[in-house]
Amino acid sequence: MTFRQFAVNNVLRNIRLYAAYFLSSTFTVMVFFTFSVFMFHPALNGTDMNQNVAKGMMTAAIIIYVFSFFFVLYSMGSFLQSRKKEFGLLMMQGMSTGQIRTMVFLENMFIGFFATLGGITVGLVFTKFILLIAENILIISTALNFYIPWKAMMLTFGSFIVLFFIISISVSIVLRSKKLIHLIQGNKRSKGDPKTSRLLTVIAAVLLAGGYVTALVTRQMQVVIAMVPVVTIVVIGTYLLFTQLSVYVIRKLKNRKTLFWRKTNMILFSDLSFRMKDNARTFFLVAIISTVAFCSIGALYGFQSVLTSMAQGNQSLPFSYTAYEDNEDEREDIETISQTLSEHDLNATQEEISLRYYDVLDSEDTSMVISQSDYNRFAAITGEDSISVGDNGVIISHFEANINLGDQKEKELKELVTIDSEVSVHPEQNITSRALPEVDPYFIVSDEQFERLSEPEVAETYYGWQTKDDKQAKIEAGKELWEEVGPSLIAATDYEMFQLNKGYGPVLFVGLFIGIVFFVAAGSFLYFRLYSDLDDDKEKFQAIAKLGLSEKELKKVLTRQVAILFFTPMAVALLHGAVALTALSHLFMYNLFIEAVTVLGIFFVIQVIYFFIVRFFYIKQIKSGI
Amino acid sequence: MLEVKQASKIYEGKVAHRALSDINLSLDKGEFVGIMGPSGSGKTTLLNMIATIDAPTTGNVFIDGKNPHHLKKNELAKFRRRELGFVFQDFNLMHTLTVEENMVLPLTLDGKKVREMKDKATVMAEKLGISSIMNSRTHEISGGQAQRAAVARAMIHSPKLLLADEPTGNLDSASSKAVMELLESLNRVDETTMMLVTHDPQAASYCQRVVFIQDGKFYSEINRGDNRQTFFQRIIDTLSLMGGDGHDFSSIRG
Repeated sequence: MTFRQFAVNNVLRNIRLYAAYFLSSTFTVMVFFTFSVFMFHPALNGTDMNQNVAKGMMTAAIIIYVFSFFFVLYSMGSFLQSRKKEFGLLMMQGMSTGQIRTMVFLENMFIGFFATLGGITVGLVFTKFILLIAENILIISTALNFYIPWKAMMLTFGSFIVLFFIISISVSIVLRSKKLIHLIQGNKRSKGDPKTSRLLTVIAAVLLAGGYVTALVTRQMQVVIAMVPVVTIVVIGTYLLFTQLSVYVIRKLKNRKTLFWRKTNMILFSDLSFRMKDNARTFFLVAIISTVAFCSIGALYGFQSVLTSMAQGNQSLPFSYTAYEDNEDEREDIETISQTLSEHDLNATQEEISLRYYDVLDSEDTSMVISQSDYNRFAAITGEDSISVGDNGVIISHFEANINLGDQKEKELKELVTIDSEVSVHPEQNITSRALPEVDPYFIVSDEQFERLSEPEVAETYYGWQTKDDKQAKIEAGKELWEEVGPSLIAATDYEMFQLNKGYGPVLFVGLFIGIVFFVAAGSFLYFRLYSDLDDDKEKFQAIAKLGLSEKELKKVLTRQVAILFFTPMAVALLHGAVALTALSHLFMYNLFIEAVTVLGIFFVIQVIYFFIVRFFYIKQIKSGI
Repeated sequence: MLEVKQASKIYEGKVAHRALSDINLSLDKGEFVGIMGPSGSGKTTLLNMIATIDAPTTGNVFIDGKNPHHLKKNELAKFRRRELGFVFQDFNLMHTLTVEENMVLPLTLDGKKVREMKDKATVMAEKLGISSIMNSRTHEISGGQAQRAAVARAMIHSPKLLLADEPTGNLDSASSKAVMELLESLNRVDETTMMLVTHDPQAASYCQRVVFIQDGKFYSEINRGDNRQTFFQRIIDTLSLMGGDGHDFSSIRG
């Protein structure tokens, strides 16, 4: 048995110990590989993709790579941590520090090599699947065919061999050879409580509160300016929260004998305090990484909603045309539009209205005034309710939008509205409607009153077409019309949305990808934390079981232990995420409540499912040890 | 051969604890010495200090005139794998390796030739009667076999000093006897210096000399003479004298 054989045997015959580390490395490689398959896909490298998207993808790949580096480094750290006793024994047999380093290096290169190959192989299997998803999110004209991604394979292989090499070298160099006696005693020694101070606890609270308040009170562009400082102080605050506050809370709990000595509480709390230092760090990491995941996905999803409603704007009809007063091509354009729509087999209902603006006497700007019958015609094709106005009445209509498109001039139900010298009317009702593309509130008067109005300040003609719901045809017709009539006059909602999604798709995809990577990574941090203590826990519960611990009690203790580990950082991350998304909605002046709840809710549900799976296996493992 | 001079060990903590105070001990080459004493008397601390696992707070340890605690890390590693052999209560075999691989581990670490390792392992296995289990993994063999494999590992590089910490602590009486007879014969034939820490008067009676310590201090020592039986009786007497009520020696080290 030579030294090299020894190192290899040590890995091969102890697969279970290495499995977690190997799998997380494989996973990391797989993520990077699938991403690069996507990045190098021929269909995405044509003229379709603009330079910015390509750059964005490259940046994302670098982010994933840098993150992989730290992730592998962390996994390896916790893996080496669990092997202290083994190192101690080997040192007693006369293994020099240099030899331990060589062994760790060899092992790591061995694992790293196979993890790289494994990750690429698993990635290849999933590639078609990922490409299918991408195809749907991305809205690409050509299908994303499966291809043999030589470039991606080479890039992944090369960069991860380098990554594992650098990590192996650096870890084996910094591998601290502690005192032999400590190594042999292994994990039996508590790493000690983190140092706590009242001052730091207060600072934690102040930083978090300050960060939150700043994030919540800033508006619009202030949000961008405040972002970096707020993120910094919240990150520091979170770290202090876990290292200071958690310690403080658990100490207080331990001091309350009535609580601490109650049934199984003692086992739970003593354990928490024993592992406080490790836990605090894991909690911090998981909370921050989850927050990044929530925020990136939430922000992108929210941003898409914002863009969508901006594109949709004040249009509620698939096609519309606005003719300003000095338009000479009006007839011709309308003819083109009708013809194009029928060519695409879109049986359009055309409506036409003259939009008139008056200086409503007690207002600074002009306001639109239309007749009841005009309104009702458009209400009919936009699916709004028809209205009827009394003889001397007026109805004030507000545009129903979820995006704030400017300062809404609140027009209250006042006593009397004087439209011009001829006509004064009593407001009857405030309604919201999408029938007409007017953002500011407008007045609807009865047909008789409308007739009596004098010449308007401004008048323009608005044409609207309602068609049957054939998205593809609408997009194609819209594309033609943009080219023929010009985008300044025609509004083709579906085509504009299509354009938007096409441009935004890659960004969303990249964001989703990174978000999911971070979230899964947070999950595996928790897994590592739990499983690095598995053997200790087995031993401990073996001892306690001898004293008499029912299965129900065992389950209860373990469930709580796992739940604390899973949901403490999650709760903090959810709170951070909620605050961040609120700030984001202030930036866009757009209500992102539904988007935030959706994203955070989905993550929470996933976490709950993950919790139950891990809990099931953890309890099973511990029970097998008893 | 081994010289412990005025060695003390104080464990720092919330309450400083003096585990050993001013211990003097010397072993001649080829001697087989047992260390006995009640639980908490500092036996294992003393052994750990000699084994270079732990360093004395004050005082010195000399092995063959050298103080291993002053060696550089790499020198110390070499020193351990060439000059020292260890046998533990819970065997501490590497469970990833076969018995044979465990045996040759100190040689492997020293970068010896495979041929040479193979030969030494064969000879050693023959001597210890474990040839049949050479290719077994450690979980497939009995405690007695595991301890014999551990002795083989400790002896394969012909160390100057063999240190055994409760080698019979986890064994049944037949295996204990076999292991002790083995150690005794290795001591006699190979003239390896041996030091044994034990609770077990039966095991201690295989030594040539037994040193008793209590509360970290030297208590007394007795020599074996010719008859192992009477030596055993004298060990029992000393232990009961020391413990006062005579219960201590029957307890198992925790």
